[in-house]
Formats: sequence, C-alpha cells, structure tokens
Amino acid sequence: MVGHEVIGGGDYDEYFDGIMYSVGSLTDYNISRERYEDYISEPVKNREGFENFNGTLFLDSGGFKFLGGHGLDGSNFEVEIDQEKVYEIQDKMGGDILVNLDRPIAPSDDYDARVEKARQTAENITEFLDLSDGTRSARFLTLHGYNYSMLDTFLNEIDKIVGASRVHDEFDGIALGSLVPMKDNKTNLIDAIQDCREILRDWKFDDLPLHVLGISSTAIPLLAAVGADSFDSSSYLHSAINGKYATSLVSTKSLSEVDFSHCNCPVCSNDELVYRMQGNARYQKDVLGPVAMHNLIIQKREVAKIRDCIRSPGTEALVDYLEHTLGDHKSLRRFTHRVVNESLGGYF
Amino acid sequence: MMETKTPKVNEVNEFLEIASDFEDPLEVIRESLSNSYDAGAESVTISIKSRPDGSKIVIEDDGQGMSESDLESFFDLGNSTKNDPEIDSIGYKGHGTKIFYKSEKIVVDSARDGTNIHAEMDRPWEKLNNRTLPEYEVAKRTTTSDGTRIEVTGFKSGRGFSPESLTYNKIEHYLKWKTLAGSTKYHFHPDEFREMEIVVELDDEIDDSQDKLVTNNKLEFPSEQLNPGDGQYPESRMCKHYGPHTIDVEAENGDTTQLEIVGMVGGKETRDELPTYGRHSTQFGIWLAKDHIKVERLNEAISHDNEFIHFFFIANSQDIELSANREKIRNKSSAIYQAIEEDLNYFLSKIAADPWFKDYLQQRRVAELNRKAKSQQKSIEEREAIVTERTRFEPSNQTEVMLGLERSNRQGAKPTITVEDFDLGADVNALVEQNDRLYGCSVHQELTDHFEADKPLESISKIVCWEIGDQDKLREYARNGYHGGSVEFDLENNRIIYRNGTEYTVHVVEVSSRFE
Repeated sequence: MVGHEVIGGGDYDEYFDGIMYSVGSLTDYNISRERYEDYISEPVKNREGFENFNGTLFLDSGGFKFLGGHGLDGSNFEVEIDQEKVYEIQDKMGGDILVNLDRPIAPSDDYDARVEKARQTAENITEFLDLSDGTRSARFLTLHGYNYSMLDTFLNEIDKIVGASRVHDEFDGIALGSLVPMKDNKTNLIDAIQDCREILRDWKFDDLPLHVLGISSTAIPLLAAVGADSFDSSSYLHSAINGKYATSLVSTKSLSEVDFSHCNCPVCSNDELVYRMQGNARYQKDVLGPVAMHNLIIQKREVAKIRDCIRSPGTEALVDYLEHTLGDHKSLRRFTHRVVNESLGGYF
Repeated sequence: MMETKTPKVNEVNEFLEIASDFEDPLEVIRESLSNSYDAGAESVTISIKSRPDGSKIVIEDDGQGMSESDLESFFDLGNSTKNDPEIDSIGYKGHGTKIFYKSEKIVVDSARDGTNIHAEMDRPWEKLNNRTLPEYEVAKRTTTSDGTRIEVTGFKSGRGFSPESLTYNKIEHYLKWKTLAGSTKYHFHPDEFREMEIVVELDDEIDDSQDKLVTNNKLEFPSEQLNPGDGQYPESRMCKHYGPHTIDVEAENGDTTQLEIVGMVGGKETRDELPTYGRHSTQFGIWLAKDHIKVERLNEAISHDNEFIHFFFIANSQDIELSANREKIRNKSSAIYQAIEEDLNYFLSKIAADPWFKDYLQQRRVAELNRKAKSQQKSIEEREAIVTERTRFEPSNQTEVMLGLERSNRQGAKPTITVEDFDLGADVNALVEQNDRLYGCSVHQELTDHFEADKPLESISKIVCWEIGDQDKLREYARNGYHGGSVEFDLENNRIIYRNGTEYTVHVVEVSSRFE
C-alpha cells in the first residue's frame, strides 16, 4: 500500500475500508497543472500502489469550497467548476460513491438565500443525474438544513425542479451537509439528524442510507443512535497535528503524557513507532504520522463496537455502550440521556 | 528505666457524655425500634405519658427477650452484642440505650426460653450527675411468653419531647424519616425483610387527636399517578416511582460497595400524602441511608436547575460510616464516599432527563401560565368594567395620555398636535409635531407629576398632561422655586415661565381640555 513505509511498514489495510475525498481539495497543496492532470488521469484504484485497495472511495463534490464562484486554484492554473466539471473529475478518479455539486447553507443565510441555494443545487442535481446516467457508482443526494422545516423547504425546491420520484428512483443514498459550523453544538446536531430522519420518512426516502458529512469523533455514537448510518472524519488527523493522542472516542491525552504500553493497537505495539511518537524523529510528520494512525484505529475500533451494539437485538447494548463511554463525561451526559430517552426507549 | 502506664477512662463522664450526645429525645423511639427489630419482634408498642416529674415511656415488644449478657450490654457502655455487621441488626456500638439513663428510673423485664429477667435502676441521671456510677438490681423468675418491656420513668424530656410539642403527626414524621419505620429494605430484600407492627400511644394530655398511631417498618411511597389531574394544579398529584435499583460502585482505590436506590418524584399533593410534618424543603431531596434508615441528605447530587423538592430518593450503602448518634456521615472524605456521590449524581441525572419528569415540569409550567392567563383574564374583566362604567376617556398612564392627544386630533381639536416619537423611559418622553415644527415634550397624567418626578424644565418645549392636577402644589413650587430657579405658572395662557439666569417658556398641553 502506498505510504506504508511512513507508518513503519505495517499492514493497516483493515483500517482503510473506506476513504472520503473531496474534489474541492484537489488543489489544496497549491499543485501545478501537470500534477493536477496526473491526479485525474486514471481511476485511483488503477494507480500503482492502489491495486490491492478494495475499500470504498467516497468522492464528495466539495461544494462548500466553490461557494461564491470560486473554482479550483492551482499554482499556475485555474479550473472553472460547475456540475459537469465536478462529475468529470469524480468519474475520472473512479469514485464508488458520488455526490452532486451542492450549495451548502450557512447559519447566517436567511430564508431567501437558502431557497436560492436549494434551487441551484436542484439544477445541479438534474444535470448530475443526466451526466451520470448508467454509472456503476452509487449516487448520493446532498441535503442541507438544520431542522425539519429547513429540510422540507430544501426538498420542495428539489421536487419542483427534479421531481421527488426521480430523486427516489435514481439516488442510492442521502448525504446531509452544512453541519460543520455547528459541529461543537451537539444539541443542534442531534436535532438535525433526528429531523432529517423524520423528513426522509415523510418523503418516503427512508429506505436510503444517511451519511453525515464532516461530523465525527464524540458525536458519532450520539448520531448513530438517532439514525445516521455513516460518517466521514478527519479528526483523527487534526488531533494528531495538535499533538493529541486518542485514548477513546471522547478523550485525548497530550502526546508527552502518554504511556504507550496501555494501548494494544499495532502502532503502539511497534517499538520503532513508539520511539518516534516519543519525539525521536527529525520531522514532525514522522512523530505525528503514527499518532494519526493510532487515533484512526481507536476511532475505527469504537465505530466497530457501535456497529455491533446496533446489530445486537434490542437497544440495551447501545444504551450500555453510550452509558459507559459518553455517560461518564459530565459534559456529554445530558446528550446521552437525550438520545437514550428519545431514540432508544429510555431508561425507566 | 521505662514505666508502663495504662490510659484511664472516667466511666461516669463517658456515660454522661454519650447520653447527652443524643440531643433529640425522640431518639429514644429510634433506639427502641432498632432493638425490637434486632430481637426479632413482630410488634412493638411505645407509650408515652406526660408526668410532672418528666415523661413516662413504656416500650413493649414480642421479640426474643434478652439474655443476661444482653441485659449487661443494655446497661453497659460500648459493649454491644451486635458486633457482627453481617447479622441483620441495626445498632452495634452499644451507645443507643444509654439515652435511657436520662431518667428517674429504668425497669426492664425481658423474657426468653421460659425465664424472665427483671432489672431495675434507680435515679441513674441524678447519680451520674453526682459522679456516681448507677447500679441495677436483677431478679429472675419463670414465665411463659417471650418479649421485652422497658419502662423509663421521669425521662428528662428536652423541648422536642415536651407534651405541648409532641403529637402523633410529629412522631409519625419522625418514625418515617429517622427510624427503621421508614426503612426501604423491603424494596431490595423482600426475602430477608421481616415486617414489624409499630404502635405509638400518647397520653390524651399530649395528643387526643387519635387513640394511637399504627404503622410498620416500611417506607411506602404514595401511589403512582403518571398523568396530570384536573384543576389549577394538574401536576400536584403526579407521581412516578423509580427503582429499586442496585448499583455497583467502585472507588478509585479499588474499594467497592453497593448503592441501593429507590425513590419517587412527585408534586406537592403527592408529597403531602407522606407524614411530612413541616416544610418540604427540609424533608425531600436525596437521602443517604445506612441499614436502609435515612441519615443525611445529599441534595447536591441533583443539578441546581432541578429543584430537589420534587425528589424523594433514598440511596442506601452499608459502607457509609455514621457518628455515634447516627445523625451524620463521618467518612465523607473517603474514596468510597466520593464514588457514591459521583454515581448517585449520574443516576439522578438520568431521572432529571426522564421524559416523564420533563413532562411533569412542563405540566407545572403550563399550569402556571394558565393561572397567569386566568388572572390576566380577570384583570381584563376588571378593566372592561372600568371602561364601560366611565362616561368619557380617562387615561391611567402616560401612554394613554398620548393616545388621548391623538384622539383629540381626530375629534377636531386645534391646534393639531401629532405624536412622532415616544420613549416612556426618557426625560424627554415624546417628540410632537405642531405647525410643521417638532417639539420635545414631557408627558404626564397631571402637570404636577412633572415636578414631583423632579424632571428638568430647560430641555423641553412642552409638557403634555391630561389634567393640571392640584394647583396648590404648583403654587408651592412657584413660591419655593424649582431646581434653583423661579417658576411661574401662567395657566390661562397655557405656559410655564422658568428663570434660572436664562428664561425658558414651556407650553402646557392639557389634553382633557381639548375635548371641550
């Protein structure tokens, strides 16, 4: 696997069963036109080093990056972005799950601004469905809204332009976006997911899986409990960049305080990597790379546990999991109580 | 050369100290009930009579009587026969019965296995205070039935025990809150639990409101009522039971205990069904218990935005340690106590998040809003009556004076003065327009109000008022001056002239006169 030497040559395939990438991020590192063209020259899974990668490649459009008419800005070139261009890139990169180009909303948007964005997204959806007709990739519809009424307004605009039945027949899943600005407000996140589940029921889209864009870590168990099916997360990476080593889904330690012998993950079981995480490397990337990998493993393990809890009969296992993870943290306790009471049958 | 010495105990002082430690004389009842329960009694009767030389207390039970060594323990200090905490007994310090020493005479008859032991102790309190250790005489005879009768004469009652303050109501509350009569054990260990009938008889001179009080050793919560009732206080009889729940608690140092929690949440009417005696705020909340008998409250276990008064929870742990008089917990700094506190807090956060509890609070809030709306409705009716009965528009505040001014315009009053801006809180309340010019105004029901409010005259062009008010008051201002200047009321020409080095003229608009 590409990059495996950075993390000490171990086999970490099992933790990369799904990768989320955004078209909007293609030029994040100020790349040149040649590099850009190389990136999209062949499907990711055909590239050297990725032959054995059989995980899911989720290609987001990156709509939030293109708000205000911005395109892709490289070091010596610009690419104008519209739905056609985004789909072309997604198609060339060979994504397994594709998302239409959307117009995410902002907390400061008023009603008219949101309706206008929904209308623009709806026009993109029509084009996206036409362009991707016959594709083997799964297609996810982006939804934007913080509560039932906002989501309903959004869907009404989509219905006017695309038609609800076409949406239902041609899309394979729903991706709820625009929640990043409220990532730290768990009350709002729970409201949004609960309301999204409700609106999907009322619009008879409830057979479609629900992905929540850009929300992760401590919110995962709560949002899974209220009906989100998948997440994408870069918090494992961001935590590592900030020198934070995950000890669970809800807690981290400063790297200098970590006793690596308490963790049995492949990273912390590797003496060379532990030595590096203890600060013995010339470049920060070599110190923090293994930390990021460790953090990802911790998150993935927790997600696996949550999945097991959801699969086990009844809600008891999930309630128990929530109680023993988030419930132990005073600041998260009330959210745990809320989802247990509202979505998992309550305590009493 | 080293000399070995043994510390001495002043026995008399110890007895005095321990007996005095029991501040509340009702503790006699608590100790007796615990002893009777420990003796396996199915029934215990406590009778209290008021006598000029102190109360007479008789405690009689049908449990297994005392052996000779039990009797010694009864009179000895720190020599309890109940030292094994595994045995289902409540007291094991050997302190409790020493409260009886505060009396003129103690007579004990205790029978088991066909033998009755009779013991008498004369003037124990007097002797202790004379620095003499009181003695007791023992005699044996045969008998047919088991049981114990303790008669304490001339008990030195403190305030709490004086006839005028002792009532069945007070005793019942005490029984259910402070003694094993309020035990929550049957919720957790129904198999081990032994029911005991408890009868209290008070002399008619003390309380003649009932013949006797009959209860048992169970704390029974009022019946559940999950839905709101009718009337103004629909939440008042709502009640939900929680538990019994047993929680395994582990402290940071590895110590463990079991926390047995049972309780209820309820409105005022529900809580009144319990023998509360007095203020709910001192009785409800979260109680920590040992031997399933409540000891001390830990209301901090409920977050501050949930008033503890709605809660009645008893959390029992055998690993809390009590002071000699059972009134206080003395191992609060231990790791296990901290862990109990933490786990109790967590448990109660779940109760506070229970949708039923939220609904209960919502019912309270809605009922309060309804009551408010009703009282507003009443006030609307009253206001309607005033409006209907009066013969003409009459403002009752400054805003209505402004409305009156506008109304006078509509009815053709001249000159037309329209309100362009109004700010009740400002010194210059309004800007009015007259003949295309804006004027700053002070607005009052009566002209005199302006002066009583001590408002300046320099910054305004007009005072708009409904009426002039008491002209003599104005004359006083004219006579005495205002704000260091002189003021002249030229009401015929609707103006005030104010001089404080500069001359100001303030126009007076008497709105009522514009309707004439």
